[in-house]
Amino acid sequence: MNIIGPDLLVFGVDDVAACRQFASDYGLVADGDYGFMALDGTGIEIRAKDDDSLPAPLETGSMLRKTVYGVADQATVDAIASELSKDRDVKTFADGSIESVDDMGFVIGFQVTVRKSLQLSAEVINAPGATAQRGVNNVAVSKDDSPRPRSLSHVVYFVPDAPKQEAFYRDRLGFVTTDRFTHVGPFMRPAGTQDHHTVFFIQTPPHMKGIEHFTFHMGGPTDVVTAGTNMVNKGYQSFWGPGRHIFGSNWFWYFKSPFGCNMEFDADMDLHDESWEAREAMPGADNSQVFLLQYREKWAPMGPPPPKPEA
Amino acid sequence: MSKRVRLCRAEDIPDYCAQGFDPNRRGFDTLFVVRQGRYFYAYADVCPHYGDTSLPWKKDEYLDAAGENIVCAAHGALFNIRSGLCTSGPCKGESLRPISVIRESDDSLWVALEDLEQ
Repeated sequence: MNIIGPDLLVFGVDDVAACRQFASDYGLVADGDYGFMALDGTGIEIRAKDDDSLPAPLETGSMLRKTVYGVADQATVDAIASELSKDRDVKTFADGSIESVDDMGFVIGFQVTVRKSLQLSAEVINAPGATAQRGVNNVAVSKDDSPRPRSLSHVVYFVPDAPKQEAFYRDRLGFVTTDRFTHVGPFMRPAGTQDHHTVFFIQTPPHMKGIEHFTFHMGGPTDVVTAGTNMVNKGYQSFWGPGRHIFGSNWFWYFKSPFGCNMEFDADMDLHDESWEAREAMPGADNSQVFLLQYREKWAPMGPPPPKPEA
Repeated sequence: MSKRVRLCRAEDIPDYCAQGFDPNRRGFDTLFVVRQGRYFYAYADVCPHYGDTSLPWKKDEYLDAAGENIVCAAHGALFNIRSGLCTSGPCKGESLRPISVIRESDDSLWVALEDLEQ
């Protein structure tokens, strides 16, 4: 199953105008009536919660209505349809994409991926002992930088039965567990990407079932912190970060949002292949991040100029 | 008698809206007041889910679009405006911590500092 990763998250929201403004300020670009897209064409769709075209909501009222995965080709879509049809309904749409549900009841879709291949450099740095990545006379930053999200990265779900959900994504869809928090759940990646995770499942009581957060990859840590600072300057409120996770090594900054979940910026995630052996750690602050910083308003160690000596 | 802090005039909070306040000058809002007609309901700006994170996604964004529920923007928890009880979301069954609002005869709203510092 050559699943690449999430192409699109479909939301049915309470406050469409607030969500559209938030998505735009986050750096996504409006596309059509409902879409907000990252540079590679992945993104989110924002519809009103009572939009008839949406799949039914979860009983908990979570605003995430569908997760659409991009896969390599139509043969993969057909193979997934064949696999899931063994024990559940699978809808097929005119464009060849399909829709079904996972073992927790989240609506999932599969389509030939819309991801465009990006030809961009990652954040480049200079360091003693290494060949310069950023050449002579190229300056790294400007106060006016407004970095854009590059690609839909991952989704974290609250689930009432994490082992069952892990088994479904492993056995039916070919996902691999890369790391795990004990008694919490697995980080998983599909076979078509080396990203440390495109999903993380968190074991919770049933009434919490829903989306915990979603995030897009940025070009590097400076982009994460710059984009987050731009959000703060527009009045949005940080939830957690900036910091750097341990599992996945990705830089992070989470913001509360009108989508009923947190929305994150991330960058520089570890890559893994089949030779990687999943680690396991106890959950908690110490194992969640190597460091955690906190925003403060711009400041400099400068007072007023000293008084001029009298002539 | 406990020291009191003046928040605003009652009319400064539009009907069926909410407003955050920072009476201890911490640099961020620590309580919010929701107005429903002539009634004012105040709560500590702390979601009971984790017990140490604030609710809104932007200053004063404490209510849903219809103004019928208090919302925590981290995970979408809904709270009854009058009781503070969480009716949906991660902290279902738990409650926001209420803070007494004192409305003076000149129509100003006040809170007791000791109420905030619990």
